[in-house]
Amino acid sequence: MKPGKPHKAKRAASPTTDGQAARDSGWIDQQIAHIAFPVVSAADLQDHLMTATNDLDRLQTLLTHACDTLLEGFYGASEEIRALREAHVDKSDLVFDQTLKHLGDAVTALQFHDMATQLIAHTHRRLRNCADRLARDAFAEDEDGETIVEEPPLRPNPVTQSEMEAGSVELF
Amino acid sequence: MQSILAVDDSASMRQMVSFTLKNAGYSVTEAVDGQDALEKSGQKDYDLVLTDQNMPRLDGIGLTKRLRDNPKFRGTPILILTTESSDQMKQAGRAAGATGWLVKPFDPAKLIEVIGKVMR
Repeated sequence: MKPGKPHKAKRAASPTTDGQAARDSGWIDQQIAHIAFPVVSAADLQDHLMTATNDLDRLQTLLTHACDTLLEGFYGASEEIRALREAHVDKSDLVFDQTLKHLGDAVTALQFHDMATQLIAHTHRRLRNCADRLARDAFAEDEDGETIVEEPPLRPNPVTQSEMEAGSVELF
Repeated sequence: MQSILAVDDSASMRQMVSFTLKNAGYSVTEAVDGQDALEKSGQKDYDLVLTDQNMPRLDGIGLTKRLRDNPKFRGTPILILTTESSDQMKQAGRAAGATGWLVKPFDPAKLIEVIGKVMR
Protein backbone atom coordinates (compact mmCIF):
# COMPACT_ATOMS: atom_id res chain seq x y z
CA MET A 1 0.00 0.00 0.00
CA LYS A 2 1.26 3.45 -0.81
CA PRO A 3 0.46 6.59 1.14
CA GLY A 4 -0.90 9.66 -0.60
CA LYS A 5 -2.47 7.69 -3.42
CA PRO A 6 -6.00 8.99 -2.90
CA HIS A 7 -4.90 12.49 -3.87
CA LYS A 8 -4.95 11.45 -7.51
CA ALA A 9 -8.16 10.21 -9.09
CA LYS A 10 -7.83 6.81 -10.69
CA ARG A 11 -9.60 6.10 -13.98
CA ALA A 12 -11.10 2.79 -15.03
CA ALA A 13 -8.84 0.89 -17.43
CA SER A 14 -10.08 -0.28 -20.84
CA PRO A 15 -10.24 -4.07 -21.20
CA THR A 16 -9.29 -3.97 -24.91
CA THR A 17 -5.90 -4.26 -26.63
CA ASP A 18 -4.70 -1.96 -29.43
CA GLY A 19 -5.72 -4.42 -32.14
CA GLN A 20 -9.15 -4.85 -30.81
CA ALA A 21 -9.76 -1.15 -30.28
CA ALA A 22 -11.36 -0.37 -33.64
CA ARG A 23 -13.54 -3.48 -33.62
CA ASP A 24 -14.64 -2.86 -30.08
CA SER A 25 -15.37 0.85 -30.44
CA GLY A 26 -19.04 0.16 -30.04
CA TRP A 27 -18.40 -1.79 -26.87
CA ILE A 28 -16.20 1.02 -25.54
CA ASP A 29 -18.84 3.61 -26.25
CA GLN A 30 -21.32 1.48 -24.37
CA GLN A 31 -18.94 1.18 -21.43
CA ILE A 32 -18.23 4.91 -21.42
CA ALA A 33 -21.92 5.67 -21.51
CA HIS A 34 -22.30 3.29 -18.60
CA ILE A 35 -19.37 4.36 -16.41
CA ALA A 36 -18.39 7.88 -17.50
CA PHE A 37 -20.84 9.72 -15.33
CA PRO A 38 -20.12 8.06 -11.99
CA VAL A 39 -16.33 8.02 -12.46
CA VAL A 40 -16.15 11.65 -13.57
CA SER A 41 -18.52 12.65 -10.78
CA ALA A 42 -16.50 10.70 -8.27
CA ALA A 43 -13.27 12.34 -9.45
CA ASP A 44 -14.93 15.75 -9.28
CA LEU A 45 -16.26 15.06 -5.81
CA GLN A 46 -12.87 13.83 -4.68
CA ASP A 47 -11.29 17.04 -5.97
CA HIS A 48 -13.77 19.08 -3.97
CA LEU A 49 -13.08 17.08 -0.83
CA MET A 50 -9.32 17.45 -1.21
CA THR A 51 -9.70 21.18 -1.87
CA ALA A 52 -11.80 21.49 1.28
CA THR A 53 -9.17 19.70 3.38
CA ASN A 54 -6.44 21.93 1.92
CA ASP A 55 -8.54 25.00 2.71
CA LEU A 56 -8.93 23.75 6.28
CA ASP A 57 -5.13 23.47 6.52
CA ARG A 58 -4.82 27.08 5.37
CA LEU A 59 -7.51 28.16 7.82
CA GLN A 60 -5.56 26.47 10.63
CA THR A 61 -2.40 28.33 9.62
CA LEU A 62 -4.26 31.66 9.53
CA LEU A 63 -5.85 31.01 12.92
CA THR A 64 -2.54 30.10 14.50
CA HIS A 65 -0.88 33.20 13.09
CA ALA A 66 -3.75 35.43 14.27
CA CYS A 67 -3.75 33.83 17.71
CA ASP A 68 0.02 34.24 18.10
CA THR A 69 -0.29 37.93 17.22
CA LEU A 70 -3.24 38.41 19.57
CA LEU A 71 -1.40 36.69 22.42
CA GLU A 72 1.67 38.83 21.84
CA GLY A 73 -0.49 41.97 22.04
CA PHE A 74 -2.32 40.61 25.05
CA TYR A 75 0.88 39.94 27.00
CA GLY A 76 2.36 43.28 25.97
CA ALA A 77 -0.72 45.14 27.21
CA SER A 78 -0.83 43.09 30.43
CA GLU A 79 2.79 43.88 31.22
CA GLU A 80 2.28 47.59 30.51
CA ILE A 81 -0.75 47.71 32.81
CA ARG A 82 1.13 45.88 35.54
CA ALA A 83 4.12 48.23 35.26
CA LEU A 84 1.87 51.29 35.29
CA ARG A 85 0.05 50.00 38.34
CA GLU A 86 3.32 49.39 40.17
CA ALA A 87 4.46 52.94 39.40
CA HIS A 88 1.14 54.46 40.35
CA VAL A 89 0.78 55.86 43.87
CA ASP A 90 -2.82 54.78 44.30
CA LYS A 91 -2.63 51.09 43.36
CA SER A 92 -6.33 50.56 43.92
CA ASP A 93 -7.19 52.95 41.11
CA LEU A 94 -10.49 51.93 39.51
CA VAL A 95 -9.06 52.36 35.99
CA PHE A 96 -6.51 49.61 36.60
CA ASP A 97 -9.09 47.30 38.11
CA GLN A 98 -11.38 47.83 35.14
CA THR A 99 -8.55 47.26 32.66
CA LEU A 100 -7.51 44.04 34.38
CA LYS A 101 -11.11 42.87 34.29
CA HIS A 102 -11.19 43.51 30.54
CA LEU A 103 -8.01 41.47 30.17
CA GLY A 104 -9.68 38.68 32.14
CA ASP A 105 -12.59 38.71 29.71
CA ALA A 106 -10.11 38.47 26.85
CA VAL A 107 -8.67 35.29 28.40
CA THR A 108 -12.01 33.56 27.84
CA ALA A 109 -12.23 34.71 24.22
CA LEU A 110 -8.59 33.86 23.45
CA GLN A 111 -9.35 30.19 24.03
CA PHE A 112 -10.95 30.14 20.56
CA HIS A 113 -7.73 28.81 19.03
CA ASP A 114 -7.82 25.53 20.94
CA MET A 115 -11.49 24.93 20.20
CA ALA A 116 -11.19 25.90 16.53
CA THR A 117 -8.13 23.67 16.15
CA GLN A 118 -10.02 20.66 17.50
CA LEU A 119 -12.99 21.38 15.22
CA ILE A 120 -10.75 21.73 12.17
CA ALA A 121 -8.81 18.55 12.94
CA HIS A 122 -12.02 16.56 13.37
CA THR A 123 -13.61 17.88 10.16
CA HIS A 124 -10.36 17.48 8.23
CA ARG A 125 -10.16 13.83 9.23
CA ARG A 126 -13.77 13.17 8.26
CA LEU A 127 -13.40 14.83 4.83
CA ARG A 128 -10.13 13.04 4.18
CA ASN A 129 -11.75 9.71 5.03
CA CYS A 130 -14.53 10.46 2.49
CA ALA A 131 -11.99 11.36 -0.22
CA ASP A 132 -9.94 8.22 0.47
CA ARG A 133 -12.96 5.93 0.41
CA LEU A 134 -14.07 7.50 -2.85
CA ALA A 135 -10.65 6.81 -4.35
CA ARG A 136 -10.71 3.24 -3.12
CA ASP A 137 -14.27 2.40 -4.16
CA ALA A 138 -14.87 4.41 -7.32
CA PHE A 139 -11.63 4.06 -9.23
CA ALA A 140 -10.03 0.94 -10.60
CA GLU A 141 -6.79 -0.40 -9.19
CA ASP A 142 -3.67 0.64 -11.06
CA GLU A 143 0.05 -0.10 -10.82
CA ASP A 144 0.39 1.99 -7.66
CA GLY A 145 -1.62 -0.61 -5.79
CA GLU A 146 -4.30 -0.37 -3.13
CA THR A 147 -5.29 3.00 -1.71
CA ILE A 148 -4.78 3.86 1.95
CA VAL A 149 -7.91 5.09 3.65
CA GLU A 150 -7.44 7.43 6.59
CA GLU A 151 -9.50 6.30 9.58
CA PRO A 152 -12.57 8.42 10.28
CA PRO A 153 -12.87 10.05 13.72
CA LEU A 154 -13.79 7.33 16.20
CA ARG A 155 -15.82 9.65 18.40
CA PRO A 156 -18.24 12.52 17.82
CA ASN A 157 -16.82 15.99 17.50
CA PRO A 158 -15.45 16.94 20.95
CA VAL A 159 -16.35 20.60 20.46
CA THR A 160 -20.09 21.12 20.78
CA GLN A 161 -19.96 24.76 21.83
CA SER A 162 -21.33 27.28 19.35
CA GLU A 163 -20.33 30.40 21.23
CA MET A 164 -17.47 31.61 23.43
CA GLU A 165 -19.44 31.85 26.66
CA ALA A 166 -17.65 30.33 29.68
CA GLY A 167 -18.45 26.62 30.09
CA SER A 168 -20.00 24.76 33.00
CA VAL A 169 -18.26 23.68 36.21
CA GLU A 170 -19.11 20.45 38.02
CA LEU A 171 -17.40 19.31 41.21
CA PHE A 172 -17.74 15.61 42.05
CA MET B 1 3.43 29.48 47.22
CA GLN B 2 1.06 26.70 46.12
CA SER B 3 2.01 24.94 42.93
CA ILE B 4 -0.18 23.73 40.10
CA LEU B 5 0.62 21.34 37.27
CA ALA B 6 -1.19 22.63 34.14
CA VAL B 7 -1.53 20.08 31.35
CA ASP B 8 -2.72 20.85 27.80
CA ASP B 9 -1.44 20.01 24.33
CA SER B 10 -2.54 23.43 23.06
CA ALA B 11 0.17 26.05 23.56
CA SER B 12 -2.35 28.90 23.58
CA MET B 13 -4.43 27.17 26.26
CA ARG B 14 -1.35 26.56 28.40
CA GLN B 15 -0.53 30.25 28.11
CA MET B 16 -4.04 31.33 29.11
CA VAL B 17 -4.14 28.94 32.06
CA SER B 18 -0.65 29.95 33.24
CA PHE B 19 -1.46 33.65 32.87
CA THR B 20 -4.59 33.24 34.97
CA LEU B 21 -3.00 31.08 37.67
CA LYS B 22 0.18 33.15 37.99
CA ASN B 23 -1.88 36.34 38.29
CA ALA B 24 -3.70 34.68 41.16
CA GLY B 25 -0.39 33.96 42.91
CA TYR B 26 0.17 30.29 42.09
CA SER B 27 3.36 28.72 40.88
CA VAL B 28 2.68 26.92 37.58
CA THR B 29 4.46 24.07 35.83
CA GLU B 30 3.29 23.30 32.30
CA ALA B 31 3.09 19.88 30.66
CA VAL B 32 2.29 19.28 26.98
CA ASP B 33 0.33 16.04 27.45
CA GLY B 34 -0.52 13.36 29.99
CA GLN B 35 2.74 11.51 29.57
CA ASP B 36 4.76 14.69 30.07
CA ALA B 37 2.65 15.45 33.16
CA LEU B 38 3.27 11.98 34.53
CA GLU B 39 7.01 12.48 34.17
CA LYS B 40 6.86 15.93 35.80
CA SER B 41 4.71 14.62 38.64
CA GLY B 42 7.60 12.39 39.65
CA GLN B 43 10.00 15.31 39.93
CA LYS B 44 8.05 17.61 42.24
CA ASP B 45 5.01 17.78 44.51
CA TYR B 46 1.96 19.68 43.31
CA ASP B 47 -1.01 21.03 45.22
CA LEU B 48 -3.36 20.65 42.25
CA VAL B 49 -3.41 19.21 38.75
CA LEU B 50 -5.42 20.95 36.04
CA THR B 51 -5.57 18.87 32.90
CA ASP B 52 -7.10 18.81 29.44
CA GLN B 53 -8.85 15.60 28.34
CA ASN B 54 -8.06 15.08 24.63
CA MET B 55 -4.29 14.90 24.28
CA PRO B 56 -1.81 12.69 22.40
CA ARG B 57 0.05 9.86 24.18
CA LEU B 58 -1.99 10.04 27.41
CA ASP B 59 -5.35 11.77 27.86
CA GLY B 60 -6.67 13.53 30.96
CA ILE B 61 -8.69 10.58 32.27
CA GLY B 62 -5.73 8.25 31.74
CA LEU B 63 -3.50 10.70 33.56
CA THR B 64 -5.97 10.93 36.44
CA LYS B 65 -6.03 7.13 36.81
CA ARG B 66 -2.24 6.94 36.77
CA LEU B 67 -1.88 9.74 39.33
CA ARG B 68 -4.47 8.18 41.63
CA ASP B 69 -2.42 4.98 41.57
CA ASN B 70 0.44 6.99 43.06
CA PRO B 71 0.02 7.42 46.86
CA LYS B 72 1.57 10.87 46.57
CA PHE B 73 -1.36 12.10 44.47
CA ARG B 74 -4.20 10.20 46.12
CA GLY B 75 -5.46 13.31 47.91
CA THR B 76 -4.43 15.93 45.37
CA PRO B 77 -7.30 17.73 43.62
CA ILE B 78 -7.38 16.93 39.90
CA LEU B 79 -9.55 19.11 37.69
CA ILE B 80 -10.27 18.24 34.08
CA LEU B 81 -10.62 21.30 31.83
CA THR B 82 -11.90 20.26 28.42
CA THR B 83 -14.19 21.01 25.48
CA GLU B 84 -15.91 17.68 26.19
CA SER B 85 -19.26 18.12 27.93
CA SER B 86 -21.02 14.77 27.56
CA ASP B 87 -22.32 13.09 30.71
CA GLN B 88 -20.61 9.88 29.65
CA MET B 89 -17.20 11.56 29.63
CA LYS B 90 -17.87 13.30 32.92
CA GLN B 91 -18.79 9.98 34.52
CA ALA B 92 -15.59 8.45 33.16
CA GLY B 93 -13.65 11.34 34.69
CA ARG B 94 -15.38 10.90 37.99
CA ALA B 95 -14.76 7.14 37.97
CA ALA B 96 -11.07 7.78 37.25
CA GLY B 97 -10.86 9.91 40.39
CA ALA B 98 -11.13 13.46 39.06
CA THR B 99 -12.23 16.11 41.55
CA GLY B 100 -14.18 18.17 39.03
CA TRP B 101 -15.02 18.74 35.39
CA LEU B 102 -14.74 22.18 33.80
CA VAL B 103 -15.92 22.84 30.26
CA LYS B 104 -13.90 25.21 28.04
CA PRO B 105 -13.72 28.08 27.57
CA PHE B 106 -13.02 28.93 31.20
CA ASP B 107 -13.76 32.20 32.91
CA PRO B 108 -10.60 33.25 34.83
CA ALA B 109 -12.43 34.44 37.94
CA LYS B 110 -14.53 31.27 38.07
CA LEU B 111 -11.49 29.06 37.59
CA ILE B 112 -9.65 30.74 40.46
CA GLU B 113 -12.75 30.42 42.64
CA VAL B 114 -13.08 26.70 41.91
CA ILE B 115 -9.38 26.07 42.49
CA GLY B 116 -9.55 27.92 45.81
CA LYS B 117 -12.52 25.80 46.83
CA VAL B 118 -11.00 22.39 46.04
CA MET B 119 -7.60 23.27 47.51
CA ARG B 120 -9.05 24.26 50.86
